[in-house]
Amino acid sequence: MDDVELGELWKQYNQKIERADILNLQSWVLHLQTFEYLQTEKVRSRLNAVSRWKKWMIALGLLWVFFLVFLIVHSMAWSKVFFVVSLAAILGFNIYAIIVYIYHTVLISEIDNSESLIDVQEKTARLKASTLQATRILFLQAPFYATFTWNFQWMRESPGSFWLIAFPVALLLAIGAVWLYRNIHPRNSDKKWFKLLFSGREWTSVIKALDYLKEIDEYKKGQ
Amino acid sequence: MTFSIFLRIIKGMAPISNEPDLLALILENKGIILKICHLYCPDKHAREDLTQEIIYQLWRSAKNYKREYRFSTWMYRVALNVAISFYREGKRGKNALPLSPFHLEIEDDPADDAVHNQRLAWLQGCIRELKEFDRAVILLYFEEKSYKEIAEVLGLSETNVATKISRIKERLRQCILNH
Repeated sequence: MDDVELGELWKQYNQKIERADILNLQSWVLHLQTFEYLQTEKVRSRLNAVSRWKKWMIALGLLWVFFLVFLIVHSMAWSKVFFVVSLAAILGFNIYAIIVYIYHTVLISEIDNSESLIDVQEKTARLKASTLQATRILFLQAPFYATFTWNFQWMRESPGSFWLIAFPVALLLAIGAVWLYRNIHPRNSDKKWFKLLFSGREWTSVIKALDYLKEIDEYKKGQ
Repeated sequence: MTFSIFLRIIKGMAPISNEPDLLALILENKGIILKICHLYCPDKHAREDLTQEIIYQLWRSAKNYKREYRFSTWMYRVALNVAISFYREGKRGKNALPLSPFHLEIEDDPADDAVHNQRLAWLQGCIRELKEFDRAVILLYFEEKSYKEIAEVLGLSETNVATKISRIKERLRQCILNH
C-alpha cells in the first residue's frame, strides 16, 4: 500500500464521516447560536474541575488561616512563646500554599486552546501536577505541630520527658519534612514510597499528569 | 467575506449580535470538527459531548485568534487541544465502546460494498491505535497541510514532524496490511 492509496482511503473515510454526522453538527451549532447552550451545566472546560477543587482548598485554607490568626492574637504572652511561634510558622506555610493555589487558579483561567498542542497540553498537565508543589510546602509545617505544646516550665520541671521524647519527635518530624520537601518531585513519581504516599483517588489525576508530562517530553525529543 | 466578519469580531469592532457570523465560519469548516471527533471519540454519545465542547471552546477562544494563522489552522489547534484533553480525561465513551477497535460505527451506506467498508474500518481502527499526538499529526498530513503548518499546530520543529510522519505512515501501512 503506497502513500496515494493511503491518502485515497482517508478521503473516502472523510466522505463517510461527513455524510453520517453533518446534520447533527449543524444542529449543535445552531443550538449554540441561541446561546442557551452556554448556560447549560454540560458546558464546562475540562480544567474547571481542577479549578473548582483548588478554589475549595483556598476557601478551607482561608478559614484555617483566620482560626490561626485568632489563636495567635489571643495568646500573646512570653509564657506561650513556643505556642505563638509554632502557630505563626504554620500560618506562614498555609498563607504561602494559598497564594500558590490562587496563582494556579488564575493560570487555569488563562489557558488558551489556540496555542500549539504541545504547549497547551504541557501547561495543563503541569498545572494539574502543581498540586504537588503546594503539598511539599505544607509538609514543612509538620515539626511545628510538635513544638506548639512546648513551654519553659516543662523544660525546667520534666527535662527527661522533654529532651528524650518531645524534642526527638520534633527533630524527627523536621528531618522527615525536609526530606519530603526535597524528594516530592516528578522525577521520583516511579518510586514505591511516592506511589504509596499519593495513592488516594484524589491524587489519580496528579499522578496521571506527571506521567503525561514525561510522555510529552519524550514526544518533543522525537522518541 | 465571512473571514473579514470574523476579523471584525476578534478585533472587538463587531457587537455581540455578530457572533452568529463566527458560527457561520465554524459551519464552513465543520469537517474539521467531525474528523477530530471521530478520531478521538469512538462512542457516539461522548462524541456529541466533545462536539459541543469544541464548538464552545472555539467560540470562547475567538478573541485569541491571531491573523498570521489561517482560520482553519487556528480551528485545528483549538479543536485538537480540546479533543486531546477530553480523551486524556477519559471521557471517551466509557459506557459504549465498540466491540473491537476495527468496528466502523458510522452507519453503512448501502451504496458501499462490504470489502470497502472493511478497509475504512481498518483505517479508522489503525489510526485510533496511535497515540493522541500522532493522530493529530497524521490527520493534518492527510488533510494535505504543509510540514510547516503541522509543526505550528503541534509546536514541534519541521524536521521532527517529518520524521514522525514517516514513522506513523509506516505503522499505519503495517497495521492495515496485517488485517
